[in-house]
Amino acid sequence: MTRQNIIEISGVEKRFGSFIAVRDLNLSLKEGEFFSLLGPSGCGKTTALRMIAGFQDHDAGTIRIDGQDMAQIPANKRPTNMVFQSYAIFPHLNVGDNVAFGLRKLNLGKAETDARVAEALEMVELGGLQSRKATELSGGQRQRVALARALVMRPKVLLLDEPLSALDKNLREAMQFEMRRLQQKLGITFVMVTHDQYEAMTMSDRIGVMFKGQLKQVDKPEVLYARPCSREVAAFIGGMNFLDASVTAKAEGKLQAQVQGFGPLAIDVNPNVTRRGTKLLTGIRPEQLEISAKKPEGYDGYLQGTVTNAAFYGENVHYHVTAAGVPQPIAVSVPNYFHTVDHQQGDPVWLGVQNASVIDLGAREA
Amino acid sequence: MNTPTSEPLAKALTPAIRKPRRRSLRFPWLLVYAIAYLVFLYLPVLLLPLFSFNDGTIVAFPMKGFTLKWYAQLGAQDTLLQAMVNSLIVGSVTALAATSLGLFAARAYVRYRFKGRELSEGLVMLPLVIPGIIVASSMLVLFIALGLKPSLTTVILGHVFVALPFAVSIMKSAFDDFDQSLEEAAFDLGESVIGTFRRVTLPIVAPGIVASLLVTFTVSFDEFVLAFFLSGNQPTLPVYIWSQIRFPAKLPNTLALGSLLLLASVVLLLIAEYFRRRSNKSA
Ligand SMILES: Nc1ncnc2c1ncn2[C@@H]1O[C@H](COP(=O)(O)OP(=O)(O)O)[C@@H](O)[C@H]1O
Ligand SMILES: [Mg+2]
Repeated sequence: MTRQNIIEISGVEKRFGSFIAVRDLNLSLKEGEFFSLLGPSGCGKTTALRMIAGFQDHDAGTIRIDGQDMAQIPANKRPTNMVFQSYAIFPHLNVGDNVAFGLRKLNLGKAETDARVAEALEMVELGGLQSRKATELSGGQRQRVALARALVMRPKVLLLDEPLSALDKNLREAMQFEMRRLQQKLGITFVMVTHDQYEAMTMSDRIGVMFKGQLKQVDKPEVLYARPCSREVAAFIGGMNFLDASVTAKAEGKLQAQVQGFGPLAIDVNPNVTRRGTKLLTGIRPEQLEISAKKPEGYDGYLQGTVTNAAFYGENVHYHVTAAGVPQPIAVSVPNYFHTVDHQQGDPVWLGVQNASVIDLGAREA
Repeated sequence: MNTPTSEPLAKALTPAIRKPRRRSLRFPWLLVYAIAYLVFLYLPVLLLPLFSFNDGTIVAFPMKGFTLKWYAQLGAQDTLLQAMVNSLIVGSVTALAATSLGLFAARAYVRYRFKGRELSEGLVMLPLVIPGIIVASSMLVLFIALGLKPSLTTVILGHVFVALPFAVSIMKSAFDDFDQSLEEAAFDLGESVIGTFRRVTLPIVAPGIVASLLVTFTVSFDEFVLAFFLSGNQPTLPVYIWSQIRFPAKLPNTLALGSLLLLASVVLLLIAEYFRRRSNKSA
C-alpha cells in the first residue's frame, strides 16, 4: 500500500515579538498515522498544532495539507478539526446540537444530519445522549462529545491538544486505548499534543519530541526509547542512567569504550546521534541492569556497589546503588515477580549489563 | 424606629452574654452605624410612596387619609404622558446603543492585548467620576457649536456617554468567564466569523446583554442633569417632574408618578441582577 503524506511542514517558524515559540519545524505525516508531539509544557506544542489548524499564522516556511498550501486558507476552510484542551463544549447547546454544529453549515438535510450525529455519538459510546444538556456532562463525557463533534466532520486530519490531561488516571488510561482503536478503525490521521510520555508511547505510531520550540527527534516509540538522539530526549522518555565513557576504538558499527564503573564495553553506534568525539556519554535504562547479591553469570560488564535506597512500586522494585568511581547513584528497576524486596539498604550488590543495553548518546558537552 | 433597631441589637448581644468574648462585649458601633446609614439613605425614598397615597396636597405629618386619586389623575395629563414617551424613546435607544458599543468594547478588552487598552478602558469609565454638570454644560456647548439643536437626539448622545461605563462593565463580566476556545471551536467546525458570533458568542453572553439593556435603560430613564441641559423643548420625565415641583398643587401627582418610577426601577434592576447572575453561572 502506498501512502501519501497528508501533512508536509517545512521550515515553519513562529515568533511572538522577539520570542521564537517554534523554530525550523520540518515534519511529514503519512495518511492514517497517529502522531504525537511530545515535550515539556511551554515548548511550543500547542503553537505548532494551532498553526496546522489555522488559528495562528506562521512567520516562515510552508504548511501543506493533502498537497495544498495552507498559507491563505483560514481555519474554517481547512480539512482539519480540533479537539481543544478545554473541550470547548458549547454550554448553550445539548449534546446532539453540539455534535451537529459543523454539519448545519453543510446543509445535509435533517435526516442525514441526525444519522451522522447518531453514528458519531455511537462511535464514542454516547449513543442516545443527543438531548443531554452540555452542562450535565462529566469530564469523560465532555471529552467524548468533543471527539464526536470533530470526527462527525470527517476531517482528513484530527488535531488534539492534550485531550486527556483533564481526566483522572483510570479514565485517561481507558481513553488512551479507546482513542487508539477509534483512530485505527477510521484511518484518519491524528496529531496529538501531549506532555505525557506514556500517553505518547502507548498511542502513537510515531512521536516527535520537542524542546524549546525545536523538534529534536521523530521516531517510533521503540526507537525513541532505545536510540534517543541526545541526553535531553533520553532523560524525557523513561528513566535513564547517564554514564561517562571514553572511546578507545571504533570498528564495524561498534564503539569500544571504557564506561564509568563498568569498564570496557562494545557499544552499538547510535545512528540518531550527530555529535561525535572520544568523550562519550552513554545511557543505560534502569530495567536493563541485572542486580544480584552474587556476581551474575553471562554479562559483558560488571559493577560492585552498595544499595542506598530500595523502593517498592508495586509492579517494580526500584533500587539506588552507589559505587566507587560513579558520582551519582545508579537506578535499577526489577520486575516484581515474587512480591519481595530482595536487597535492603546497605547490602553489597553486583550489577551486570549487556553490551546491547548501553546506549551511545554521542559526544559529551564539554 | 425603636422596635426594629432593638430587635437585631438584642440578637447581636445574646451570644456575647452566653460566650463572653472581648470583641462582642463592646457596644456594637458598626451595627448602629449601619442601621443609621440605611435609615438615612432609604427613609426619604420611602416617604415618597407614603405621601402619594395621602389625601391632601401638603407633604407633612400628620397624614390626612388614604386615596388613589393622585394615581388616577396621571392618565389624563398629556404633557406628562408626552414626557414619559420621550423618556421611553431616549431610554430604549440609549440602552441599545450603549449595550452594542459595550458588547464589542468588552469583548476586545477581555480578549485582546493591544496598545492603549488600559488607557481606553480608563477613558470609557471616566463618565462615572466626572461631575454630571460639567459633562452637561460642555456637551451643550459642543452640540451647539456643531449645529445640533437641543432635542431628544442630543439627550440620547449624552445618555449613551454616561451609560457606556455600565454597559462595558456588565459585558466585561459576561466575557470574563467565556472560554475563548468556544469561538475557535465554532470557527474550526466551518462556521464563519459572523456565524460564530451569532451562533456561539451572542447566545452565551445573552443574559449579560439583557442585564446591560435593563441597567442602561434605567440609567437613562433616571438621568436628570444631562437631560435638563440637552432636551430643549422635549423634556424627559425627570425634567418634567422637576418643572412640576414648583407648583404645590401638582406635587401629589408628582409623588404618585415618582412612586411608580421607583417601583419600575427596582423591578428592572432586580430582573437585570437575575440575568447578570445567570450569565456568570452559565459561562
Ligand atoms: N499568543 C501568544 N503570545 C505570546 N506568547 C505566546 C502566545 N502563545 C504562546 N506563547 C508562548 O509560546 C511558548 C509556547 O507555548 P505553547 O505552544 O502553548 O506551549 P505548550 O503547548 O508546549 O505548553 C510559551 O512560552 C508561551 O508563553
Ligand atoms: Mg499546550
